[in-house]
Amino acid sequence: MGMTITEKICARAAGKDRVRPGDMIDAEIDKLYIKDLRFSKAEDPKGLYGLFKEILKEMGIHKAWDADKVVINFDEQPARSMRRLEGQASAKQFSQEHGATLYQGYEGGIGHNVMVEKGHVKPGEFIVGADSHSCTYGALGCFATGIGFTETVGVLATGRIWLKVPPAIYVELAGKRPSWIWGKDIVLRIMAEFGPNGAVNKTIEYGGNALSDISIESRLSMCNMAVESLALNAVFPPDERAIEYVKQVSNTAFTPVESDPDAEYESRLRFDLTDMEPFVAAPGVPSNGQPVHEFIGTKINQAFIGTCSNSRIEDLRVAANILKGKTVHPGVRMIVTPASYAAYFQAREEGLLQIFEKSKVLLTASECGICTRPSLATEEVCISSGNRNFPGRMGHRDAQIYLGSPATVAASALAGEIVDPREFLPS
Amino acid sequence: MKKNFAGKVWKFGDCIDSGNIKGVMAGIDPEFHTKVRPGDLIVAGINFGMGSSAEDAPRSLRDAGVAAILAESISNIYLRTLINLGLPAIECSGISAIVEEGHELEVDLEAGRARNLTTGNSRTFAPFSDHAIAILEKGGLIPYLKSSVAKDR
Repeated sequence: MGMTITEKICARAAGKDRVRPGDMIDAEIDKLYIKDLRFSKAEDPKGLYGLFKEILKEMGIHKAWDADKVVINFDEQPARSMRRLEGQASAKQFSQEHGATLYQGYEGGIGHNVMVEKGHVKPGEFIVGADSHSCTYGALGCFATGIGFTETVGVLATGRIWLKVPPAIYVELAGKRPSWIWGKDIVLRIMAEFGPNGAVNKTIEYGGNALSDISIESRLSMCNMAVESLALNAVFPPDERAIEYVKQVSNTAFTPVESDPDAEYESRLRFDLTDMEPFVAAPGVPSNGQPVHEFIGTKINQAFIGTCSNSRIEDLRVAANILKGKTVHPGVRMIVTPASYAAYFQAREEGLLQIFEKSKVLLTASECGICTRPSLATEEVCISSGNRNFPGRMGHRDAQIYLGSPATVAASALAGEIVDPREFLPS
Repeated sequence: MKKNFAGKVWKFGDCIDSGNIKGVMAGIDPEFHTKVRPGDLIVAGINFGMGSSAEDAPRSLRDAGVAAILAESISNIYLRTLINLGLPAIECSGISAIVEEGHELEVDLEAGRARNLTTGNSRTFAPFSDHAIAILEKGGLIPYLKSSVAKDR
C-alpha cells in the first residue's frame, strides 16, 4: 500500500521508510515560524525568550537548535500596546543573538503571507508555526500545522515535535471552475459538507482535474481554512503551477513529493465546481456555509478584506474590479488590509489603491488588523474575507460576522447588504 | 500528576473557541472563575478549544486548578498545548451523553476509561501514549525537557 503526501513527509521527517495513520512519530522540523506576539509576555510572565533562556541554561547549551530554520514576523505595525512593543524588542534581541530571520517594516506584513512570498515555504518540507493558521503553507505541497507557545519553546530547544500521523480525507475537485468562484467559495462549500467536526485531527488532501485552474492565492486561502475544519493540515499536490511559483520566490533546492496512486484515504469527497454558486458562511462557525442566495438582503455595517485568509494581490484585483468607479454604501465601513507590503506596493503599481481610495475604502497598513482587534459594536454586522466568525472574534459577542470571498465582500459593500457578486462583476 | 482521579463535572456545549475560554471560560460564563474549584473537571461537546493558538486560554484553566478536560473532540493545537502544560486533555466520544453538571466523574488515563460515579455509566477513550504520559508526569513539556536533558548527562 502506498503513502499520501503527508505520510511521506512525516516518514522522512521521522527518519523512517514508511508510516501509517495513527503511528506516533518524533519528527524533525524543517522550518519554524514565530509571530511577534508570541515573544510578548501575554502567555507566560517570562515571555518566550525568557523561558527559552531558562531551558538553555538547564540544558547547558547556548544556541537555538537551528536558527537558520527560524523565521519571525511582526504581525502588528506599529505595535499598539506596551506588551506587544516589548515583545517585538524581545524578538529582535532573539533574532540578533541567535541569528533567526526577522521581517519587519516594508519587508513584512501578515506573517503567513510573508513566509510564502519570501520563499520560506517549499514542497516536501515539514513546517510548524506558532500560530494556528500556519496550515496555510500546505498550498505549496508541504506538511504544515500550528503549534502553541510552550511547544514553540520546545521546538527552539530540540528542533523536534511528537505527532500522531493523521488519517487523510481526499477531496476531489472536478468540473470547470466558473470565473466568479475563488478559493474561499470552494472551501466554505467543502467545510459546510464536512460539518463543524468533519475533519478533526485529519489531513485534507486536494486533488482532481479542476486543480490546475486554481490559483496559488486561492490554494493558500483554502489551506488557511483547514484549521477551521479542525484538520491537522491541508495539502495541495505540488503541481507545475506550485513549483513554478516556488522557483520564482526561492533559489534553494527542494524535493517535491506526490501521493502514491495506491495511497490509502479514510474517506473521499467529490465536488463539481461547474455552475457553482458563490458561498457565504453565517455567523458562529466557519462551517455554517450556504449558497449566497440564502443571505441576500442581510444589512451590513462593515465590509472587510484582510487577514491571512484573503487579502493577497488576486483578492485586491477582484475587489478593485468590482469597486471601480463606484462608491461604498454610506452605511458601510469598508476596510482593506493588504496581505503584505509586497502585495500593498504591487496594488499601488497596478492602480488598485487609487481605486479603493476613490471608492471611499479605508485602506490600512498590512497587518493582522481588525481580524484580532475589536471593530464591531453590539449587534453590528460585518461581511469579512477572513477565516473566523466566532462570537466576539471582531468585537462585541452580539456582533455578527459573515464570511465570503473578496468579490462578495466588495459587492456587498456597494449595496449595503449581502448580494450575489455576479451581478456586480464587470462583464 | 495522578493517572487515576475523580472530580466534579462542569458541562459546556459544542464549538467553544479559545477566545471564549480565555479568562476561565469568561466568554461563556463570566462568573465561572468564582465557581470552579481545584480538582474539578470540564466536560464539553465537539471542537473544544477551536480557533486561536493563544495559550492564555488553556493556561487560565490550568491556573484555575481544572484537573482534566474531556470533550467529544478537541482542536489539535489546544489538546497538545494542554498536555504540554501538564493538563490531561481527553477526546472521549459520547462523554456528554453520560454526565450532567455536578456529577462525579472518575478518569483512568492508562486504562482509557471515564466512569460517572453518580450514575455508574462509563465511556472509553484511546489510552494516552507513553510519551504524553511522560510529559504529563513531569508536569508539562518544559519540566519534561529540563529533566530529560539532566538524565542524558
